[in-house]
Amino acid sequence: MVTPRFQSLLMAGALSLPGVAALGAAVLGLLDQPARSQPLEIGVYSGRHYNTDKELYREFTRRTGIRVKLLEGKDDALIERLRSEGNRSPADVLVLVDAARLDKAADLGLFQPARSASLVRDVPLSLRDSRGRWFGLTRRVRVAVVNPRLVNPATIRSYADLARPALRGKLCLRDSKSVYNQSLVADQLILRGEPATRAWVRGMVANVTQPFFTSDTPLARAVAKGDCGVGLVNTYYVARMLAGDSGGADKALAQRLRVVFPNPAHVNISGAGVTLASRNREAATKLIEFLASPSGGRGYAEANNEYPLQGYGDNPILRSFGTFRSDGVSAEQMGARNRQAVTLMQANGWQ
Amino acid sequence: MIAIAAPTRGSGRFWLAVAVLILAALALLPVAGLALFVWWGPVMTSLQLGPTGHTQMVNTVLLVLAVGVLGALLGTANGWLTAHCRFAGRRWLRIAQLLPLACPAYLLAATLIDLGSRHSWRIHGLGWAIAVLTLTTYPYVFLLSTETFAVSGRRQLEACRSLGVGPWGSFLRVALPMALPAIGAGVALSGMEVVNELGAVELLGVPTLSSGILQRWQNDGDPQGAVALALVALVIVSLLVAAERQLRRRSRRWLMGSGGDGQPPWSLGGWRAALAQLLALLPPLLSLGLPLLWAGLSLDQLQGEPVDELLALGSRSLGLGLVAAGLALAVGLLLAIAKRWIAQPLLQRLSFLAGMGYAIPGTVLALALMLIGGPWQLSPMLLLVWGYTDRFLAVAKGGLDAGLERIAPSVDEAATGLGCSWTAVLRRVHVPLLRGPLLVGGLLVFVDTVKELPLTFALRPFDFDTLSVRVFQYASDERVGSALMPALLILALGLAASLALVPSLNHSGSVTRG
Repeated sequence: MVTPRFQSLLMAGALSLPGVAALGAAVLGLLDQPARSQPLEIGVYSGRHYNTDKELYREFTRRTGIRVKLLEGKDDALIERLRSEGNRSPADVLVLVDAARLDKAADLGLFQPARSASLVRDVPLSLRDSRGRWFGLTRRVRVAVVNPRLVNPATIRSYADLARPALRGKLCLRDSKSVYNQSLVADQLILRGEPATRAWVRGMVANVTQPFFTSDTPLARAVAKGDCGVGLVNTYYVARMLAGDSGGADKALAQRLRVVFPNPAHVNISGAGVTLASRNREAATKLIEFLASPSGGRGYAEANNEYPLQGYGDNPILRSFGTFRSDGVSAEQMGARNRQAVTLMQANGWQ
Repeated sequence: MIAIAAPTRGSGRFWLAVAVLILAALALLPVAGLALFVWWGPVMTSLQLGPTGHTQMVNTVLLVLAVGVLGALLGTANGWLTAHCRFAGRRWLRIAQLLPLACPAYLLAATLIDLGSRHSWRIHGLGWAIAVLTLTTYPYVFLLSTETFAVSGRRQLEACRSLGVGPWGSFLRVALPMALPAIGAGVALSGMEVVNELGAVELLGVPTLSSGILQRWQNDGDPQGAVALALVALVIVSLLVAAERQLRRRSRRWLMGSGGDGQPPWSLGGWRAALAQLLALLPPLLSLGLPLLWAGLSLDQLQGEPVDELLALGSRSLGLGLVAAGLALAVGLLLAIAKRWIAQPLLQRLSFLAGMGYAIPGTVLALALMLIGGPWQLSPMLLLVWGYTDRFLAVAKGGLDAGLERIAPSVDEAATGLGCSWTAVLRRVHVPLLRGPLLVGGLLVFVDTVKELPLTFALRPFDFDTLSVRVFQYASDERVGSALMPALLILALGLAASLALVPSLNHSGSVTRG
């Protein structure tokens, strides 16, 4: 493979084309110097993209001496990459966002069980795989955001209330490609069964008169501006707007929103597991233990305004939302119903 | 196609053929791997499209047609106006046509949606997708056509003028037919770009084949089905490209020298000048102005990435862009030259097929390379550069093919008759004559690589993020503020590369003097 490429590289020079290829290779060569001398190094594939995560990994290295190589990407793409790399994968830990994806990766046989007393202690049973293949690290809740001028927040007590005909033209939803919505429907399938969930999805779809949104933040903005009366978003999107991360205008908008926790609430997770291909199982488990521990987990949750594994944390914005009661559906169960949920959404008009 | 006598006898031509065979094999290996993958898959998946598949197909075809027509009109009009008509601001506006190249379609879509949602406008659907993709792909047509307008047939235009043929007449009857190969090549490029565009159409909520492929692969867990769909898309594009080549076969003209530089012949005044200015100003203003406006409005949410991190991201993008540009140009030149010199039909076809990598969605090409790279333990970096070269070969080759078509075969014959070997003909005749297309091709590959997402995303090694990767990650997390700095750097790199082209636009007359 190398030789013809190298040949054409030479030709590029020989033909007095701008010696660009060589120059570029030099630039890359300078930067692509993996440190080979490190005694212990683990590879992490992560679906999260926060600069503060890197700080946490450095903290882990300081404590344990284990270096962390990082590749961040979209969750599904990372799963596919790990899958195609098979046994040769350089990844030891796979971090994914959303229970459905963790369960998918486990189903594909990408994880190996990790045995760890501290993980069993730190991660509640409903937030981890029963066979120890993956462990939740942070929690997020899919909540209703309400514009009080258009919809009385007191009328939204459960997810089921969003299907009431009174909300016709007022409900806005993100599309069914969103894994957060898929997991919500899977959650309802477990709690309420297929017929009731189908009726609920149909009722909500009938209430939606605007095109489905492709992301949460514009949806929250639309509710705040009064283009919609109520919508479903993850907690951290609202928290981010309130924190001023997306500017003063968004902050002012978010202050007009009322966050309503449906009772009981659908709780989702981000989490991690040790890959089947890992040759440093112990070190990989150590990293997950660190991230699930109160000190490490706090950094992971704070980076994205998420809830820690237990309690409500001390993020003042999240505190201002009040408390919620989880519906108790385990992350593992939700993942198992993902496919059924997607089929149901597509068959009933949730684009 | 141009079945002229081989310029050299003996081993030189043989080695050229061997090189072409190897390069074409490398370019086609991923596609062949995909075909085998589908064929030997555990389950033979059905290609039943269903209602969603039907919508995806219709949307894709509509997008390709609408963007093709609009892009051809916009690109050709601006190519002609800024090359041969005189009006205030012409020189600047000519340079400005390169600006849209700097802006990735997904960035334009994301900024439009973000700006819109602050003012309660829903930016959504097919119409917006057509607008965004036209704005970001028309420079392909502009660049390739204007280069032809500028270098070819100024003498013919002067003849038109002396014979009393007006600007419209000389455009339609002389310049347009001569530029058709270049326009066709530009439209074909934009068509391929549109077929595998993913970020922008997903953001705008338009289901297309490319999003269907990804969904089938990653959500339905059916890689075979996804690849089969991708191959269907590939067939559609091949048909489009073949039709385009058939069309332009009828209009082949060779460049018989060109006149001096001089002033553009046709002077515009009054409303005509205003219209020309508007037409030339609007696209660059929109495609660069909107992201900049968005950046200006979002300055309060700017979240500083550490400078060394930004530098690292930027130099990786720069390095990858340069490597890809160099390789794609070298391979493209060899393939284009071989197509001209070796009349062997098999080689001709191979050379054509080798350029089809551009039509394979980046995600699928990445899958193919992973399938190949896995068993052979190839380094991710090598796979990445292979992927770029494969994918952007068409971009480099399209302009070179069109450029070579303008050079009369008699030039080669004369050089060979004077005793030049094929490498000498290439070095002393073609490369100087092709300086324009080489520069244009190199720039386009560079900018495309800097903007490229799916391959980079799927194949890069540990700790090797690039600017586009970072922008996309942040944007898909809906964190505009963090995406801002890397996005501006992409724009800056694209702008710098576009500006590198300016001299060739201004002095394009000299290209033919070599």
